[in-house]
Amino acid sequence: MIGAGVVFQREFAGLFRAPFTWVVLLVVLLLNGLLFNGYLTASGNVSGALDGALTGFSFWVWMVFLPALLAMRLVAEESRSGTLEYLLTAPVSDLAVVTGKWLAALAFLAVLGASSLSYAGMIQAVGGQPDWPAVMGTWVGTVLVAALFVAIGMLASTFTSTPLLAAFLSMVACVSWLLVPLLAEQALGYVLPFLGETAEARASILAAIRGVTANMDAFGHFQRSFRIGVLDSSEVVFFLTWTALFLFLTARSLEARRWRG
Amino acid sequence: MIEVQDLTRRFGPLIAVDGLSFRVERGEVVGFLGPNGAGKTTTMRILSGYLPATSAGTVAVAGHDVLRDSMAVRRSIGYLPESVPLYPELRVEEMMRFQGKLHRLERRALRTRIDEVLERVGVLDRSRQLVGTLSRGLKQRVGLAVALLPDPEVLILDEPTSGLDPIQRREVRRLVAELSDQHTVLLSSHILAEIETMAPRVVILHEGRKVADGDQSSIIESLSGGAAGHVSLEAAAAAEPDRMAELIGSLPGVARVEVGERVGIHHSFSVFGEGDLREDVGALAMTQGWALRELTWKRPSLEELFTRLVIGTLDAEEEPVPRSVAEPAVEVSSAPDLPLAGGELPLGAPGTSAQKTIYSLNPFDRGASRDLSKPVSVDDPSPAEDDPESGA
Repeated sequence: MIGAGVVFQREFAGLFRAPFTWVVLLVVLLLNGLLFNGYLTASGNVSGALDGALTGFSFWVWMVFLPALLAMRLVAEESRSGTLEYLLTAPVSDLAVVTGKWLAALAFLAVLGASSLSYAGMIQAVGGQPDWPAVMGTWVGTVLVAALFVAIGMLASTFTSTPLLAAFLSMVACVSWLLVPLLAEQALGYVLPFLGETAEARASILAAIRGVTANMDAFGHFQRSFRIGVLDSSEVVFFLTWTALFLFLTARSLEARRWRG
Repeated sequence: MIEVQDLTRRFGPLIAVDGLSFRVERGEVVGFLGPNGAGKTTTMRILSGYLPATSAGTVAVAGHDVLRDSMAVRRSIGYLPESVPLYPELRVEEMMRFQGKLHRLERRALRTRIDEVLERVGVLDRSRQLVGTLSRGLKQRVGLAVALLPDPEVLILDEPTSGLDPIQRREVRRLVAELSDQHTVLLSSHILAEIETMAPRVVILHEGRKVADGDQSSIIESLSGGAAGHVSLEAAAAAEPDRMAELIGSLPGVARVEVGERVGIHHSFSVFGEGDLREDVGALAMTQGWALRELTWKRPSLEELFTRLVIGTLDAEEEPVPRSVAEPAVEVSSAPDLPLAGGELPLGAPGTSAQKTIYSLNPFDRGASRDLSKPVSVDDPSPAEDDPESGA
């Protein structure tokens, strides 16, 4: 894992040397500030504004866009510039390369997410009472969701040498991932009557499918624990497992690239 | 150091490397030579662990199997791909430090080692410059420095001189020559002149297959069908070319004489035999009073053989190409018939039928005594000329 550390260092430092990163930072911080301001004037109460800024619809939009934008370059860019050949012939394993890069993007997003903490700090400073456990829990949850989505984005990035295409693929994947439970329910509404004869049979099928979708439901897992300030280890494991799977798939996809040439 | 046996790599239906086998011993400098698409880069990528082989008997570098023990191989090679992949946003020394960390060099040693290597490739004064702002030649050198940093046993350099100007090329050549006493070097090029100067041993690839392997003179010998070289003679004389050829053929050691084209008043001959026969042929010319224009020991260059080889193979596979195209090695080809169409003597440049006045070149005849301010016409009774009318 020393290799992963070395790759992480370079990647993280490299992020801050790319003008692109600064543009992303500027846009995100600016929009986030404006949104927070908007939530504040709309709800008129401090905790409502915080809640909106941290976990509202805009939050999930960021969560789809930002990891995709950061992850799109991780492999695709290196593949295009040829440095991937350098990295993949260096004495580090593919998994170390993948982990290092993933960590770098994740660290960046964690720092970016921490900017929201400053809102809570500010509210505290002007005499408000932010719900600190919920704020911190939300930040941890943000990092975990970002971890998963960066991993998905990175997998998409190994499929192509065009970063933008990778970003698009990644966004589509993340949106579908978030909508899995919803889409499944919708689809079931149409086909369920044909699947079971009796009400009990239908109910058991519904329960089985819900059991599956619940295990992919990032949104639900996030809302149930982190948002209310509960650090449930099973929720952490939920995100980490999926992330690990996608990191593994990314490493395998890199290896598949070698075979394709 | 490098052992490759029966290496095959396919990309879909395309066979990039086809049953390639070769060995490189410790301390050798071996050049991979071949036209674009011959499989040089693919082979190097397989050796460096970037690509897996489709099938292979053995592919081992520095005693480690490339597929099974990839990390050990990667630690013991310095690989410089053709594109010279460097991170443009890093400074030269940062790039070097990154490479050092990847190879787990010790921190303290790394600093001195970086300076040492940068000094060696001559970019020490650029160590603070961003890689992205370097010129092509400097980038190439930094790439070489990156490959050299961990002091690898084996260096694999893919087209190390491509895209460089002649001076930069010469410097890379000098560097490679310096490296050869400490490292085993495998390099590739499609430029023969490069390979000829850098690598004593050459492996020629064509369409994924090895077509020749050995030091240059042995490759030349084997590819040119045994004849290592010949004496090329151009001389003007009163005698008929056949008679001249006969005389030359009577010399000891001469195996075969080919009468070549006639250029102006000169006949050309290619004399094949044991070794360099220039002295014997020269002595003969002296006694016979032939006016020599050229007496050269000609060895077919790798370039000629290579072109012949490549085009020759194409020739065999595709529609027949006229022989003249397939044989660019003009010196070796024979054209015994004099181009005396219409009985006119083609003087001057070959191919022009216009009559020109030329100097008599026979020093024993009258060259010394004639008026040098006036050109002598060939129409004058010229002993250096055989009569076209009598020949026709």
